[in-house]
Amino acid sequence: MGGAGGFWVPGPEGKGLQAKISDEGSSLHPLLPPPCIIQSCWSLHRAQRALLETPSSRRLSSQTKTTARRRSQRIRSIGKLAHVQASGYLEEQTPRTLLKNILLTAPESSIVMPKSVVKPGPAPQVVQPSSRESSRGSLELQLPELEPPTTLAPGLLAPGRRKQRLRLSVFQEGMDKGLPLSQESRGNADASSLTSSLNLTFATPLQPQSVQRPGLARRPPTRRAVDVGAFLQDLRDTSLALAPPGESLTAPVATLPTDTVLEDTQPFSQPLVGRSPSVHHSLPCPSHSGAEDAERAVSHRTRSTGPRLQNNSPGKPAQLLAGKAEVDALAMNFPNTSSSIFGEVGVEPLQDGVGGEAEERTEKSLSMSKVKEAARARGSARAQEPEGHTQVTEAEGSQGAIETKEPEGSSGDCPTSSRRVSPELASSTPEFLQAKRIQGLEPAPPPSTAVLPSEPLEPLSARLPPRARTPGPKACQNPYKTGLSHYAKLFSFYAKMPMEKKALEMVEKCLDKYFQHLCDDLEMFAAHAGRKTVRPEDLELLMRRQGLVTDQVSLHVLVERHLPLEYRQLLIPCAFSGNSVFPAQ
Amino acid sequence: MEEDDGAEEQQRFSYRQRLKAAVHYTVGCLCEEVALDKETQFSKQAIAAISEVTFRQCENFAKDLEMFARHAKRSTINTEDVKLLARRSNSLLKYITEKNEEIAQFNLERKAKKKKKSEDENKNSTEQAEAGVVESEN
Repeated sequence: MGGAGGFWVPGPEGKGLQAKISDEGSSLHPLLPPPCIIQSCWSLHRAQRALLETPSSRRLSSQTKTTARRRSQRIRSIGKLAHVQASGYLEEQTPRTLLKNILLTAPESSIVMPKSVVKPGPAPQVVQPSSRESSRGSLELQLPELEPPTTLAPGLLAPGRRKQRLRLSVFQEGMDKGLPLSQESRGNADASSLTSSLNLTFATPLQPQSVQRPGLARRPPTRRAVDVGAFLQDLRDTSLALAPPGESLTAPVATLPTDTVLEDTQPFSQPLVGRSPSVHHSLPCPSHSGAEDAERAVSHRTRSTGPRLQNNSPGKPAQLLAGKAEVDALAMNFPNTSSSIFGEVGVEPLQDGVGGEAEERTEKSLSMSKVKEAARARGSARAQEPEGHTQVTEAEGSQGAIETKEPEGSSGDCPTSSRRVSPELASSTPEFLQAKRIQGLEPAPPPSTAVLPSEPLEPLSARLPPRARTPGPKACQNPYKTGLSHYAKLFSFYAKMPMEKKALEMVEKCLDKYFQHLCDDLEMFAAHAGRKTVRPEDLELLMRRQGLVTDQVSLHVLVERHLPLEYRQLLIPCAFSGNSVFPAQ
Repeated sequence: MEEDDGAEEQQRFSYRQRLKAAVHYTVGCLCEEVALDKETQFSKQAIAAISEVTFRQCENFAKDLEMFARHAKRSTINTEDVKLLARRSNSLLKYITEKNEEIAQFNLERKAKKKKKSEDENKNSTEQAEAGVVESEN
């Protein structure tokens, strides 16, 4: 049997490659017609292994000297060719190139489902050599793997390039797995299943690579499967929640899968099939804000805030915003779909954010943590919309601006940005951001209320639907309480222990006193300086007294630390609200 | 240079120690008075703790007062700064306010009287008196 040069051995008679080729009668030369990539990989592989193995193989193999010589010659030639062809590919990159080839050429034959993709073939043949090969080691296995393609090639040439390519790619797959894949691709498939047990040299790199680089991994099938399934489920949930139950739901649901598929592959794709462009606009926004929230990860309740409205305005700015983080790209795909769903429902005129929220909820089901968070943020924000009992003046103003900017904004087609109230941000100031809400824009509280149940987050959201309050005197009282209740919930969350209601009430009381005291101090500081308006200097003085701002740590450092630019969509509207900021429900 | 710094530091340290000792002594006297008044006793550790806390609080107060004065764009610490500092404790604030009013009134009266005698001398004396009163008050 062939020696270490397993490549040569496992063949039908353990002849040299050249002999094999001649036996096969195929004119296919391993280094010739087949796709140059495969060819180069193959040759490189062979060159490497052959170079490594030839001495041992020579010794071990029972082949004649001539064959060995031929082999060595071939190896040398191959090596030269390999060098010429794949000068860029070095030993350490071989698995990568192989993987690339596989991904490029044989998407169907995924490592995950080798058998299903590839037809059953001469398994025994594969097994035998593979077993032989495995004994030698992974390196040697590669050579035998290389052999089959040569045998396959002649047969494959006739059927067509495509098939040949497929089989070769499958074969390469098997090579990666470390098992020699003999003649048929099916055999390769089986071998691959075997290889996993025998030789894991290449098997492991493949999967981790895809895992490590989800962005680069081109496995649309698997990805789509996950997305569609979870997405549909979420869609059902959300669609149920959507206002006009039934009728319009079916349409969007039906169209969703396609959208998701399309959108998944095109992160920043503006052209949502059948979706109004406004949806696209909203995409970057929700994803962006979602990304922000995700980053924050303060609490699962974080909601995208009204600033998203700004995103709704022409897609370009939104795109710019969205372009910031990778998560945005990921999140965008989902928001697109959900927003599109909402758009179809056409319940809410400005549903950008809403769509984003719904998507966020769907995203929750997805494994992506960041997206999840973003989704949650959006979903919760969406839930907040219907509440609409408090309003942020600047939100209104901004929304008005957005409306003007967006021609489609008011169209029911596009899920316009619903103001989301940023629920709970870690810092105290963001709490006021929750109040951002665009009341007038969300005429459809009921649908969002339906959505609320899907959100595990808040008991508050459950309360929201029944409310039909208008912002007014009630808002003055409620915001204080609701804001504190948010903090109390945060407190209980971080306590990681069950808390008594009385304890929570005490916490609320203390927080109330604390904040009142803070504001009194600020007022006094302003008065001390002979002013009636609280200015940043007063804040700095307060923080100095608190010990947050020291000689080493200045205010700007703290600002950069805790108010990152990623949250500017939340912060800027709040800052420009003109003191009319109310906490969210 | 380093020697100078070291010497300076030592000087400051010794100065600090002397101040601490002074505070400790004063606190001890006050505690004795309170002990006599309430017919309780103070342990030495308690007095030491109180004096240490007092010393640190004085440092904090000084820094805060300076901050307040700077916040009001002044270079001199004023009674207003002191009142701002004492706002936390209502009783203390009340006390200080009352005292401040007394002093102000007293000064006004003094001014009125002394104005008749000689303006310059009166002004100087009242200013000094005010400063002294304010300092002692604070």
